[in-house]
Amino acid sequence: MEQAALALEMLDITKTFPGVQALDAVSFGCARGEVHALCGENGAGKSTLIKILGGVYRPDGGTIRLDGREVAFSHPIAARRAGVSIIYQELSLLPHRSVAENVFLGLEPTRFGVLDRRAMRDNASRLLRRLGSSIAPDTLASDLSIAHQQIVEIAKALAIEARILVMDEPTAALDRVEAARLLDLVRRLSAEGVTIVYISHRMSEIQAIADRVTVLKDGRTVMTAPLAEAPTDRLVRAMVGRDLADFYPPHASEPPGPAALAVRDGANRQLRGVSFELRAGEIVGVAGLEGSGKDALARALIGDEPFESGTMEIGGGTAKPGHPRAAIEAGLGRLSDDRKREGLLMQQSVRDNATLIERAFAPAFRSPIAGSMSPQSTDQRLIKLDVRAASFDQEAQFLSGGNQQKALIARWLARDPEILIFCEPTRGVDVAAKAAIYRIMRDLAKRGRAILMISSDLPEIIGVSDRILIMREGTLAGELPGGAAEEDVMAIAVAHDRVPDAMAS
Amino acid sequence: MSDQQALVPPPAWRRPPAAPPLLLAGSIALYVGVALWTGETRMLETDGVIGLLQRMVGLGIVALGQTFAIIAGSIDLSVANLISVAAVLASFIMQGRADMMLVAVLIVLAISALVGVVNGAIISRLKVNPFIATLGVGLILQGLLSASFTDFAGSVPKEFQLVAYSTFGVVPYSVAALFALAGVASFVLWATRFGAHLYAVGGNAEGARLAGIRTDLVTIGAHVVCSLSAGLTGLYLASRLRSGAPWVGRDGVYDLESIAVVVIGGTLLAGGRGGVWGTLAGVLLFATLDAAFNMLGVSAYPKLVLRGAIVILAVAIYTFRTRGLTA
Repeated sequence: MEQAALALEMLDITKTFPGVQALDAVSFGCARGEVHALCGENGAGKSTLIKILGGVYRPDGGTIRLDGREVAFSHPIAARRAGVSIIYQELSLLPHRSVAENVFLGLEPTRFGVLDRRAMRDNASRLLRRLGSSIAPDTLASDLSIAHQQIVEIAKALAIEARILVMDEPTAALDRVEAARLLDLVRRLSAEGVTIVYISHRMSEIQAIADRVTVLKDGRTVMTAPLAEAPTDRLVRAMVGRDLADFYPPHASEPPGPAALAVRDGANRQLRGVSFELRAGEIVGVAGLEGSGKDALARALIGDEPFESGTMEIGGGTAKPGHPRAAIEAGLGRLSDDRKREGLLMQQSVRDNATLIERAFAPAFRSPIAGSMSPQSTDQRLIKLDVRAASFDQEAQFLSGGNQQKALIARWLARDPEILIFCEPTRGVDVAAKAAIYRIMRDLAKRGRAILMISSDLPEIIGVSDRILIMREGTLAGELPGGAAEEDVMAIAVAHDRVPDAMAS
Repeated sequence: MSDQQALVPPPAWRRPPAAPPLLLAGSIALYVGVALWTGETRMLETDGVIGLLQRMVGLGIVALGQTFAIIAGSIDLSVANLISVAAVLASFIMQGRADMMLVAVLIVLAISALVGVVNGAIISRLKVNPFIATLGVGLILQGLLSASFTDFAGSVPKEFQLVAYSTFGVVPYSVAALFALAGVASFVLWATRFGAHLYAVGGNAEGARLAGIRTDLVTIGAHVVCSLSAGLTGLYLASRLRSGAPWVGRDGVYDLESIAVVVIGGTLLAGGRGGVWGTLAGVLLFATLDAAFNMLGVSAYPKLVLRGAIVILAVAIYTFRTRGLTA
């Protein structure tokens, strides 16, 4: 075979979004049958790069070659026809449709113009068996656990004869056995000649299956190397751009104060037997897989989906917030994990966004721009948090992720609650803003506030928290001190005594 | 991996209810109950039942099309106006002449399909919200029509009236046609690629696009079907009324009622789930209400109150039953 043509070559790919240079001349290549790991922090440009490969975005500049032939995808269908299959991180199954219908979405086999449902079922079964699963092809997607939905996504990707398969954090929601099986499958596919681009932040997986590794940082390629030359510590340094020690602020130096929040036996539809204490002056991290209940915990505390049984004490007094307003009045605050849906008023000014909480609690006849809600004091808070905007009159949608997040924090600081719950505080923000957000959290703790940080970002949990609570299957499965090893946290998060999946769905 | 455990379905009460049988049973119970109570037992004989089914035809045909639009995650508010356009054009072109029937029907259907393409293109290409897009197109159609015609225009020949008034044995052509169309629609949704793509686009447009589906063409297709069904309803009304007037569609409130019966039939207003049999059962329920109120000799206004309450109740029940089911 000719050595010259790589199976996939992306050259000098450049992409700019309003206000952000997402990719700056990124180059990336894979030989046939290679497993090429792509790493980088959130916001490094991985997702943008694969969306360009998948025909979702068009690059501003650069070329893509498949087997040496230049291609330009104008629609995802063009990419699929060329044999590029991408499993995106956000699952895209249709909940009301069967597994077989999902697997063959867009490629439904027909006979004389009529859907060949038997072929769909049989082929879906065969694909699923090839993945080592016995999911029935007639099951509705919404009846499957997240792990099984992931397997259906992979079957969907394999339904076309994929020559290039991109997997974006495929094991994020899988337990150890499932993840190991998936890695086996990746090896098998690559042996069959499928080129695999494997995106993951799990270093152990990368060490286990990758042939080569490319690291992106801030939209640039900072390293491409064979695995042998890329030990974990070198990869991490390339991703973060500095040693981890400088990135996270020092842990609490003084012992924490009295309990600010205490929950005993909290339970609701998604949670059971949750008991813990959160003390003034400490940052407690909550880790857990998707569906472990860590997001449900945040919603229960803030009264969005409250505990149905158990007790909750805030500052020593019993509290039972049944809705967010009651929780906020009791002294809680929550930074949502979904800025766009639950946080920002996109078309309103940064300043309006930063005063939302105060306005919600202001007396009916008070001017919405008086006192602590006045532009002057709002601006002070925004400046203190180093929110960068052309002007604070600018609409929130035009800010970068990091600045949006800081504006949301400013909203809470105006009220200064005793207990602040940060959900995925640095999702989709750049490295500099990340460090700044960690500093803000630590400063709040130093001022005697109690901080609960719920995050899927394991390095962040380990680097920032004074204590780590680990959730699994709707309850607290264990606790570790800050700085614990990533493997130890994962071991608790994925322990094997699994209950029926109905719990997780 | 615990495959067996993973496949435990949610408890039965959390399942979305099977709408068509429930609605069918409710309609029959209501109809029979009122007939017996008022002593109008002749309504239970063949003629009475046929009369009930005949009431379904106008709304039924357009509601089949509306089901397509809604399953695809869209909606069509222009159908009432398009029905008027179709009815008026048909009778205006025919002018009582049998030899113009075919031409008139073809022109009406071509114009309907064109309106569907326009609706679909505005929604999928210009990214205008379907509510606004079809409202605008509907207003334009009505404006053009009312500017050109002020009263009944032309007439349809006797031969064309057979569409509404002739029967196979006891079954009117129009009733047979409604159920035949429903059968075809059901087949298209269940057994064709286009049908599968309608559900995909309505369930998750971005997911469908990433799977390589030309979502814009699917949306346009859904609107073409919807507009064609409005055109057919217009033709049926022209046949039944013997002529078309520019207010027939609006007076029938076909826009809002077609949406209401689709939703009552269990199709999600957000798209992605549903079917035509539920829609037909919803149409039957509305027809039954009409018939029941006639037997009771009550004025039309309480009927509106009841219709409104049924729509709200149906959607509230579906929402409650399906809460937390979606992935």
